[in-house]
Parts: sequence; C-alpha cells; structure tokens
Amino acid sequence: MNFTETEEQQALRKAVADLGSRYGFEYTRSKVKSGEHTDELWHEAGKLGFLGVNLPEEHGGGGGGMYELALVLEELSAAGCSQLMMVVSPAICGTVIGRYGTDEQKQRWLPGIADGSIVMAFGITEPDAGSNSHNITTTARRDGTDWLLTGRKIYVSGVDRADAVLIVGRAADEHSRQGRLKPVLFAMPTDSPGFEFRPIEMDIATTDKQFLLFLDDVRLPADALIGQEDAAIAQLFAGLNPERIMAAALSIGIGRYALDKAVAYAKERVVWGAPIGSHQGLAHPLAQVKIELEQAKLMMQKAATLYDLGDDMRAGEAANMAKYAAAETAVRSVDQAVQTLGGTGFASEYGLGALLAVARVGRVAPVSREMILNFVAQFSLGLPKSY
Amino acid sequence: MNIVVLVKQVPDTEAQRQLNPDDNTVDRAAVDPVINYIDEFAIEEGLLLKEAHGGEVTILTVGPERATESIRKALSMGADKAIHVTDEALHGSDAIQTAKVIAKALGTIEWDVAVAGSEATDSRSAILPALLAEALGVAQLTQARKVTVDGSTVTIERVTDTGYESVQGSTPAVISVVEKINDPRYPSFKGIMAAKSKPVTTLALSDLGIDAGEAGLANAWTQVVSFENAPPRAAGQTVKDEGNGGGQIADYLASKKLI
Ligand SMILES: Cc1cc2nc3c(=O)[nH]c(=O)nc-3n(C[C@H](O)[C@H](O)[C@H](O)COP(=O)(O)OP(=O)(O)OC[C@H]3O[C@@H](n4cnc5c(N)ncnc54)[C@H](O)[C@@H]3O)c2cc1C
Ligand SMILES: Cc1cc2nc3c(=O)[nH]c(=O)nc-3n(C[C@H](O)[C@H](O)[C@H](O)COP(=O)(O)OP(=O)(O)OC[C@H]3O[C@@H](n4cnc5c(N)ncnc54)[C@H](O)[C@@H]3O)c2cc1C
Repeated sequence: MNFTETEEQQALRKAVADLGSRYGFEYTRSKVKSGEHTDELWHEAGKLGFLGVNLPEEHGGGGGGMYELALVLEELSAAGCSQLMMVVSPAICGTVIGRYGTDEQKQRWLPGIADGSIVMAFGITEPDAGSNSHNITTTARRDGTDWLLTGRKIYVSGVDRADAVLIVGRAADEHSRQGRLKPVLFAMPTDSPGFEFRPIEMDIATTDKQFLLFLDDVRLPADALIGQEDAAIAQLFAGLNPERIMAAALSIGIGRYALDKAVAYAKERVVWGAPIGSHQGLAHPLAQVKIELEQAKLMMQKAATLYDLGDDMRAGEAANMAKYAAAETAVRSVDQAVQTLGGTGFASEYGLGALLAVARVGRVAPVSREMILNFVAQFSLGLPKSY
Repeated sequence: MNIVVLVKQVPDTEAQRQLNPDDNTVDRAAVDPVINYIDEFAIEEGLLLKEAHGGEVTILTVGPERATESIRKALSMGADKAIHVTDEALHGSDAIQTAKVIAKALGTIEWDVAVAGSEATDSRSAILPALLAEALGVAQLTQARKVTVDGSTVTIERVTDTGYESVQGSTPAVISVVEKINDPRYPSFKGIMAAKSKPVTTLALSDLGIDAGEAGLANAWTQVVSFENAPPRAAGQTVKDEGNGGGQIADYLASKKLI
C-alpha cells in the first residue's frame, strides 16, 4: 500500500488545480446566473486530456484509471467549478462503451467523450423507478434490424448539452418484464425523431440541469445497442462503480471548497478582539470536517485503486461506502462553513448558501444513502434483506 | 530551429522567503521550489517558436538536485529534453558565475535561440540574459513582449517605460521575455505522462571544464555582507473627512512629491 501519489498523479493534481483556480467559483456563479454551461472550462479541460484520463489511449483517452479521473473531478470541484457531467460522460458512459462496445462504437463515441467534444448523458431513473431500477419500463422492441424505444425518464442531467443519452431500458419480452431487470443499453442521439426532453425546475444552483425525457417509438439502428441484448446486469454495473467513485470525488471537492472558505474566514474575522478561529466552538467542528474529508478521500482512493486493479466486487463495496462517506462529509462541511461565516455565509459572493442544496444532492443521487445502507447491511453484514 | 529555454527554480514567491544566516545565500530548503514565474512564459514562447518553425526545445537549468521537479514540469508542458547542471560547488554562485556556467552548457549542444525570462523572482537582478549574451559574444534581445523569427533574423518588441523599441539581431541569440508575452499552457495529461521518459542530461562542473575554484560562494564576484528583514508595514495615516478630506489627501500626496 502506498499513500504517496506518483509524480504523474501529483503533477496532474497540480495542473488541474491551476486550471480550476483560473476559472474558480466566480466563473461557475456567473454561469449559473446566466443559465449557461461551463463550456469554456469543459473544452479546455477536454483539450488538455483531463476529461478522458481514464479512457483507453487507442480511443483518444489518457490510458489512466478511475484514480486519475476522480482526482481531476476532486480538484475542479475543490476550486469551485465541479463538473457534474464528468460523473456521467467519461465515467459511466465512457466506461460502459469502453468495456462492452464494439470497435466501431468505441471509435464513434470515445474520442469525443475523451476530449469533451461529445457529451453523453445517462438515463436510468424513471418516474416509477428510482431506487428500484427493477421497475424500469422503458421498452426496446425489435423492428426488422432496428430498435424502437418507448418510455419516460426523469431527472436526467445535462441532456440539453448532450449529443446522446445512454438509455437503460428492458427488452420487450414478457418474461423479463416481471421481476429482476435485464437491462439493455442504447446510445441514443439527442436529435433522434420521437425523442423530446423538458427541463425540470430544480432548487439547485448548478450549470447542469435535470430533464424529463419522452421516448415515443424512437427508432435506433442495430448498432445503437451497447453490449449484449441478453447480457446480465454486469454490463450496467460496470458503469456504476465509476459513477459512485466520481460522485464521491465531487462531494469531497465541494467539502474541500467549503472548508477552505471557512478556514480563511475564521483566520481573518475578528469579533471579540481575536480571530473567530481561536474559539474552539468553531475550530473543533472545522478540524472534525478536515478529518472526515480525509477519511472519505482515503475511502474513495481505495475504491478507485481496487477498480483500476480490476477487482469489481471489492470495488463495489468500497465505492458505495466512499460515496456515502463523501456525501455526508460534504453536507457537514458546507453546513459548518455557513455557520463559520455567520450572515456572510449566505452572501452570494461566497456561494456557500447555494452549496447547501448542491452538497445535499449527494445524499440522494446517484444512489441514496438509504440504498447504500441497505447494500452494506445485506452485502457487508449479511443481514436479511428488508424490502 | 533549435531552441533552448533557460529555466530557473526559485522558492515559491507566495511563501515567506528567507536567506540562510550561515552564509547569506537563499534558503532553498525552507520553501517549496517552483519554476520561476516568468520562465513559464519563456517556455511557452519556446514551444510557440517550435510550433512555428519546427525543431526541438531543450530546457537548461542550473540548480540543485531538486530542480528536476521544475525540469519535469517544463517537459510536461511539451519541451523535448533537458540539460541539468548541478554540482555542490555551485552553491552560492552569483549572476556572473551562473552566466558562465550556462554559456559553457550551451557549448555542449547546437542551438539557435536561447529564451530566458526577464528576471528571476528570488534575486531579481534581471541581468543574467545580458551577461550570458556577453559571455557568448552573441546578440542580446532582452525584455521582449513579442518575438518573430525569420530565417536567421530575430526581431523583438523591447518593452520600454514609454512603449517599445523594435530590436533585431541574428542567430544565435539570447532572448529574454517579459510576462504576459503569451499565455503559458497547462501541462496536458499526455504531456505529464510523457515527461518521465524524456531525456535529461545531468552535467557536473567537471563535465563543462569549469574548475570548482571558479564557482560557488567563495569565488563569487558579488557578496552579501548583511541582510535584514523588511520592516513591518507601518500603520497608515488616517484622514478624517471634516469637509476638507480632499485637500488633506492632496497635501499628503504633495508632501511625498507624488503630485
Ligand atoms: C441533481 C440530480 C441529478 C440527477 N441526475 C440523474 C441522471 O443524470 N440520470 C439519471 O438517470 N438519474 C439522475 N438523477 C436521479 C437520481 O438518481 C434519483 O433521484 C435517485 O436514484 C433516487 O431515486 P428517486 O428520486 O426515484 O427516489 P425514490 O426511489 O422514490 O426514493 C425516495 C426515498 O425513499 C428511500 N427509499 C427507497 N427505497 C428504500 C428502502 N428499501 N429502504 C429505505 N429507504 C428507501 C430513498 O432512499 C429516498 O430517500 C438525478 C437526481 C438529482 C437530484
Ligand atoms: C543574495 C543571493 C544569494 C544567492 N544564493 C544562492 C544560492 O545559495 N544558491 C544558488 O544556486 N543561487 C543563489 N543565488 C542566485 C544566483 O546568483 C542566480 O541563479 C544567478 O545569479 C542568476 O541571477 P538572477 O537569479 O537574478 O537571474 P535574473 O537575471 O533575474 O534571471 C533572468 C533569467 O535568467 C534565467 N536564469 C537565471 N538563473 C538561471 C539558472 N540558474 N538556470 C537557468 N536559467 C537561469 C532565467 O530564464 C531567468 O528568468 C543567490 C543570489 C543572491 C542575490
């Protein structure tokens, strides 16, 4: 076990942090306000190869692993410009296509996902299938060699800036309709006839909005199917460990951003003749957040390391635990930062008030903490299934 | 075109920098080292010249063993290879000695232009490029805010207090660039991964035919006799505006001969 990052990882961390600090929170804030995406940052990071560090070199990626991709998102997020679509496009979609796509599919999608010129969203959640993916009803019917997709998706992020959505549906055979989901995955271009999407008004200050998707007999050619039609659920799960590792990275970055703001303020702000950071009532909770962030980060790095070693089983447990720890810590960090800044904690300039809701998302999406606790209770502790 | 970029490693400008009281030299252990800020612009200019005219970019650094970190960063930005002159005997060398070492090191390779920063953030003498050109007997094109190369002719816009001068010379030439001449690139992930496998030639003074008796603190042309920390900033003068605030400020500025 080695707790010192390689020279390359350190250099990557530094380069990404430098890039992030040039944009910074002010940039994100102005984009949220104007309802735009963070395109400049996204494309610059893409050109530098930061968005595709995990993807194979022969398809335009960097040939690194989830460790490196998580590090990129952590640093951008810590600089106040977290990129939600990194969780989706290179981590979930890039991984699934990289592992299960045909050569043509890899060639078509991966180079663009790697350099950021293609954004791929991921649609699994449905109005009646969030925590319970087995209830997915989006159905794929064969029509000659084509597929026809019909269904509804909800809360899918970034569809307006996406070139395609990786849709999780089920094949239209009656046996698979009941009981456990046998997912089929499709790369569906967003300009497909029969596909529409509408933004959902959300109380979260981010540049990547969530959407309702309507698929009505969306016709897709045979090669839109990613992987096997009757493959086991493993093919979907391949994308979910990266998703959880990246969700953890995003939360840890938010936690670091809030803690940095709080600490800087606590050193400067004088209320009773000494900086408020000298009062243990403020210093200890911040120290606690620091420790918990370190815990979450180590857990995330363990999960990423296991994943990169190809140990999907153990990576699964570690990634879920890391995602849980990171989300909890981010919420506490932002909450304590707001407290540290007093009234200023709600001033838009610092962005902490708005971050309360953003950090809170980590407890619900992409998988809720209750579902992680269910998983740990059953899988790690061997307790009976409760639902 | 063969381009050399002179890169100095300096103590992080944002940290509290110190001299070592034992021998009055820069305390390099106390603060994290970084690439001299302006040298990042020199690296970028070297890479732009390569992109426009072809050839190779070689990083040349004189400095302690730890300077490899800065060399690696320069390589990750896209330079092709590096020369690192490092020797215990160099400790405490002044600008003249450093210029002579760099001149000798340049003698080991083929080069057309040597691009430096306009000044180093630690000692800030801003004299090395001039000393180097003098030692080599080549054209000296300093304080450039724009560089154009046409065949063997190098033309720069040299920054002056009031504007700029157009200065021309022929290769081989030493150029120094000011900050903001360009927008230094970030190392890309590919660049970072490739940096380790790029060749770095390490040279000692003996490899350059320099006698240890010419180098180092004991043989420096300049000597730091004593030093003290800058005084803490004195409290400012508060002007209370009782209707005549503007006049008071004007009087103050006039007393300092600022207006
Ligand atoms: C900002 C944001 C971005 C999102 N982006 C995407 C996206 O890009 N693509 C996509 O497909 N989806 C996306 N989602 C959806 C997200 O993945 C779901 O909201 C999440 O999986 C929870 O599902 P649900 O909302 O249907 O909650 P439900 O499943 O309805 O759950 C409601 C509550 O019940 C609890 N609960 C459910 N079952 C149990 C149980 N057995 N035991 C204990 N408690 C239980 C849950 O933990 C939760 O607290 C996004 C959501 C948000 C908020
Ligand atoms: C008080 C004092 C103590 C010092 N102590 C030490 C010491 O203990 N150890 C030590 O190594 N040096 C020491 N030096 C620094 C050494 O003298 C400088 O490296 C040298 O004098 C160059 O001058 P400068 O840094 O002012 O460069 P400037 O003339 O300001 O630099 C202009 C440009 O020249 C190039 N350049 C400068 N130095 C180098 C270099 N070393 N390698 C490659 N390119 C370079 C860079 O491109 C730079 O942007 C000390 C200097 C002072 C003033």
